[in-house]
Amino acid sequence: MQAEPTNELQLNQPTAIDGAANLPVIEVINLVKHYRASDGLVVHAVRDISFAVLPGEMVGLLGANGAGKTTTLRVLATLLQPTSGTARVVGRDVQRDPVHARRQLGYVSATTGVPDRLTPTEILRSFGRLHGLKGDLLAARVVQLIEILDLSSCAHRPAGRLSSGQRQRVSLGRAMVHDPPALVLDEPTNALDVLGSRDLLAFLSTLRSAGRAILLSTHRLHEIEHRCQRFVVIHGGRVVAEGTREALVGPGGGELEEAFFRAIAPAETMAS
Amino acid sequence: MNNESTGNVGHWRAALAIASRDLLEFVRDRRTLFITLLLPMVTYPIVALSSALGLRTALVDIEARQAPTTLTIALSGEGSVAFAVRIREFVQETRGPRTGWPAALECNVESPQDSRAFLDDGAVDLWLEIRKGAVEALDQQETVTVEVHAGSVHPASGHVREQFTALMRSFADGVRRQRMAQAGLPQSVLEPLQFTFLQEGSGAARSIDAMPIENMVPQVAGAILVLLAILTMTGAFYPAIDAIAGEKERGTIETLLIAPCRTQDIVFGKFLAVYAITLATLAANVISIALTAAVGLRFLPAGALERIDDMTLGTVVTVLAFMGLAALAAATCLAVTTASTSAKEAQNTLTPVILLVSALAGAALLPGLPAQQHGGVLAAVPFTGQVIVARAAISGVRAASAEAGVGAAQGKPAIALSLAITLFSSASLAWLLLRATAAMLADEEILFRGPDTAGSVFARPAARTRPTIVQGVVPIVAGLAAVWYLQGFAPDDLLLAIPLQQATAVLLPLGLSLGWQRVNLRQTFRIQWPCPDGQWWHVAGCTIGAALVGSGLFVCGAAALLAVKGTHVSAETQLLSSRLLGLMQNQPWWLSWSLMALLPAVCEELLFRGWTLSAFVGKARQRERVVGAVVVQAALFALIHLLPERMPQTFFLGLVLGWITITTGSLLPALICHVAHNSMPLILMAGMANAVTATQGAESAEGNGVAVAKSLGLPGGMVMLAIGCVAVGMILIGWSMRSRSADAIELASD
Repeated sequence: MQAEPTNELQLNQPTAIDGAANLPVIEVINLVKHYRASDGLVVHAVRDISFAVLPGEMVGLLGANGAGKTTTLRVLATLLQPTSGTARVVGRDVQRDPVHARRQLGYVSATTGVPDRLTPTEILRSFGRLHGLKGDLLAARVVQLIEILDLSSCAHRPAGRLSSGQRQRVSLGRAMVHDPPALVLDEPTNALDVLGSRDLLAFLSTLRSAGRAILLSTHRLHEIEHRCQRFVVIHGGRVVAEGTREALVGPGGGELEEAFFRAIAPAETMAS
Repeated sequence: MNNESTGNVGHWRAALAIASRDLLEFVRDRRTLFITLLLPMVTYPIVALSSALGLRTALVDIEARQAPTTLTIALSGEGSVAFAVRIREFVQETRGPRTGWPAALECNVESPQDSRAFLDDGAVDLWLEIRKGAVEALDQQETVTVEVHAGSVHPASGHVREQFTALMRSFADGVRRQRMAQAGLPQSVLEPLQFTFLQEGSGAARSIDAMPIENMVPQVAGAILVLLAILTMTGAFYPAIDAIAGEKERGTIETLLIAPCRTQDIVFGKFLAVYAITLATLAANVISIALTAAVGLRFLPAGALERIDDMTLGTVVTVLAFMGLAALAAATCLAVTTASTSAKEAQNTLTPVILLVSALAGAALLPGLPAQQHGGVLAAVPFTGQVIVARAAISGVRAASAEAGVGAAQGKPAIALSLAITLFSSASLAWLLLRATAAMLADEEILFRGPDTAGSVFARPAARTRPTIVQGVVPIVAGLAAVWYLQGFAPDDLLLAIPLQQATAVLLPLGLSLGWQRVNLRQTFRIQWPCPDGQWWHVAGCTIGAALVGSGLFVCGAAALLAVKGTHVSAETQLLSSRLLGLMQNQPWWLSWSLMALLPAVCEELLFRGWTLSAFVGKARQRERVVGAVVVQAALFALIHLLPERMPQTFFLGLVLGWITITTGSLLPALICHVAHNSMPLILMAGMANAVTATQGAESAEGNGVAVAKSLGLPGGMVMLAIGCVAVGMILIGWSMRSRSADAIELASD
């Protein structure tokens, strides 16, 4: 991947949302999710969360461990069924119409792996086929992604022998193979070093510029502080703050991290 | 390109895309390649070589033991010199067959002390004491007694004794012939019959002492088929572990679950990949067997090959039956490993299953199953049926037909029918297992559960609304074990045996399960009226309908059993039936009814339609899962009744009871249906009391009723009435439920 990707990358405009530029690509409305832990106890992971991500927008989902970030993103990725409330991707309800919602979505998490014995080219090709791509279109898309993600040098090397950064880029390529208008990323920079994180986030900024709606969660606030247009802070399964960086840090300025602590502090106090 | 250019991917295309991706991964795994290709190529030659070596050693040993040796005899006593001379002359003069004789005879006259010493040293094999005038006595047609000392320090071997006996018999024959000549009698006095074996036809005619090679085919084929079944199952081992548990471990399963296809397509794609590898393993095994057999057949005695039936049909049937087995193996391995979160956990889970499958395959060789038997219903038993069918086909159509007492033309359809049964069984079970795999794969609790810890296994789980699927099966497995083991200890008196059986096989496992896993009793056992919001006639409709269905089903089941089995029921069924009949005749009606109808119905309904059905159905609303739950609990209900001939009827009864419970949302109608069903023997016995004497009745029991049917002759009118009862009962239940409000149905189905 280039150190600082530019708009020269051959990214297409997502036509799925053409003519509906102001309609949210990702919507979460009064989402509630309870699940049963391995000890049998019911965990109220998400109590009531609502937010939206517009096209061309990168939104950071912030929260401490156990705040409900991963659960929210898994519901969006159709991996979990909401207990109540709604989640939509390009208007498709993830519960009622999961297959169509998946077509509009790319999902990468920190725990998402890649098949060790397949090469990046094979991985991208197999997922392209799963998304209905075939023939020349599929081959062209794979070549394009290999180039965009700077995987040319290892395109035919088994993924088990790739570095963490390269594997994460393969994951991202897998999520983008069908060129979805929405990307949901759960701590995508977790396994990456500083350089890898910077490259990945820079690439995501490029995607955002090309009109994709991106929702990502991370603990490394400083990395996304100036990359995201808006932030949603959740704590104890509820949204405790939402807005631009400027709105969160307030007129006095300061770091996003301080604003984050301020946002979750009342809830922490109540909890204690 | 944009996301709209990605087309709708069909179910098959999605499955094939996943299958090709997985296959690519599997063939790059060295363990899979070893199991698939290398192991079969090595196993059969090793088995053949070790068998051949063992056989050869045994033959050499037999040959060595049967080869003539030099026999050394010491003779003592006053008549020993003349006897020794007579023996030597006989040996020298004898021409013709000397079957069983020693290669040479050393006959020395010694003193008794020397003879004893030589015998103890092992210098002579036997020591004979010959009395004075022994030879003269032989000539005077007396009987001479010879004392033979076989030694105590170096006792003579059996082979030495056999050779000596053969020699002495020949000697005695010579004396006998001499006496006949002296008496002027012809030889025919001694030999009234003489046999001559004539060989007819070409050299292919059997030699009477040739090895019965064709008799060895079923035994050898059986052993190889069991090995083939185990190795075919092993072929699915690593791919199945890799396919789901491995994907979970690598964190790649999520990437598939967010692909735009159904979970069933993912599971089917994975099944295709695992099946392909399992089929490759099967092919490699078959090729290895064929090559090993080709080498082995070259060493068969001349003419033996012609005596073995043509193997073409047997090979085709075997390959087809084992293709079904391979599908079942692939689906079983996938289903078993789906709940695992890592390859290691899956390996630990799957290993006992492989052992279980080996036992099932080996069961096909049990003595009760002749090689030529096609299996019948047993052909449907997973992993056993395939081996039975293939073995019968390989044993030869001719042998199979001879065994069945029919011509060869009728033997082939019998094999074809068995093959169809086993293929249908394999396909059905594989389908059910894949449905279960898909359900488990999509289950959030399984998908995102953490690794098992030692503490969590023994910690009492938190309360749930309903038991889990595993918890639904556990009391039945425990109950099945209890039923089985109690057979040897159960008292003969049914007054004690029935309550004891229900207590240990049903109530105890259920009680322990309830103590372990706290559940919502009302929802799990559906403790509510069938129509809580309905009018009294809705409740009455359900109740009367259930009673009609139960009583009608009993008569229909008895008639069906009578039509299929006639009065040829197994000894176990007859024993149980006669004991039940005794109970009905000797005890007050209310006691018989409580023991035969009320108690089993209450206990079994609580377990099967309460605990287990709720566990299987869960909170799901999918029609397919509900249907699957009803079918599986009915199968378990049939299984726990143990006697195979009762299983079809109890399975059908279980289906109906499950349907009633699901439809009405209450356990009560199923309970009434079950009580009515079990009460019918008593009612029928009471009805026929005047018509048939008690001794004419043979048997009657829950689920069989052969004797009642036989005694009454089950007139066509009664069967029609029973069918009518079932139909009217079902209509009544359906009408009662449909006439309720939609809200009530939702409440009841919860």
